[in-house]
Amino acid sequence: MGKRILIVDDANFIRTMVKDVLIPRGFEIAGEATNGNEAIKKYEELKPDLVTMDITMKEKDGLEAAKEILTRYPEARIVMVTALGQEKMLLDSFKIGVKDFVVKPFKPERIISAVEKALA
Amino acid sequence: MKINARFVNPFIQAGINVVQQIANIDVRRGHLSYKDQPEPSYGVCIIVGVYGFLKGQVVYSMKTEVAKRLVGKMLDGKSPEERKLLFLDTLGELANMITGNATALLSENKEHTLQITTPAIATGENLNIMLVPKPTLILGLYTQYGPIEISVALEEDEVLNEIDETERMLNEI
Repeated sequence: MGKRILIVDDANFIRTMVKDVLIPRGFEIAGEATNGNEAIKKYEELKPDLVTMDITMKEKDGLEAAKEILTRYPEARIVMVTALGQEKMLLDSFKIGVKDFVVKPFKPERIISAVEKALA
Repeated sequence: MKINARFVNPFIQAGINVVQQIANIDVRRGHLSYKDQPEPSYGVCIIVGVYGFLKGQVVYSMKTEVAKRLVGKMLDGKSPEERKLLFLDTLGELANMITGNATALLSENKEHTLQITTPAIATGENLNIMLVPKPTLILGLYTQYGPIEISVALEEDEVLNEIDETERMLNEI
């Protein structure tokens, strides 16, 4: 069975793009979430192997959600997928234990390499 | 109130890179002008708020036909039903990616980050949108489908910039 991925992004367009890249490579989509609170809830319910996480979302942003998930589940594997490619955000993400940081728009191979490395 | 010309290149660069990569079409830098507020010129309008050491709004606008053809390219391979379903969402994400990429360029060598809001989208002719009146730089991007207008209404947050300056001075002592 393929590794199970939770995709978190408020944009259906990006969730669709990530699915289109991962499904043909044998990954299974465990679920989708559209904001940080939903991401935390779905992580607890589904216990996916990996989370792709956007930053700019309503209710709770992706950095806050990643921090909360990693505090409760230090073994969680999270890859940020965001348009906010600011150096300080990248450093803040790695500080809290995020595995990789992909800047949108992305090439399919960049997502694959980030997900595979994070799961290795 | 003054507007800062250093906002121009990050948005032009991000706009060209994002549209070229995501829609796989050629994009050229267009006109540069000035308005008193970021009111949109065309019938499709996407508004993104920016806050942090800069604050204000960035408003993207284009004709409906341009938006349809652009989204069609971005969703190449999707069925007509999926394209219809994803139309507004995809336009919002386009604006999100251009603004997000521009903030990375604007944040170089800065102590603080810039945050952006989720995009708000309005469509229709003779749009009447309440926007904060702020001096606005109008940047044009030309595509084969028609122009995309980017209205940048940003100003420096003086408090955060003073903190940055103080931190820099303390680091030098």
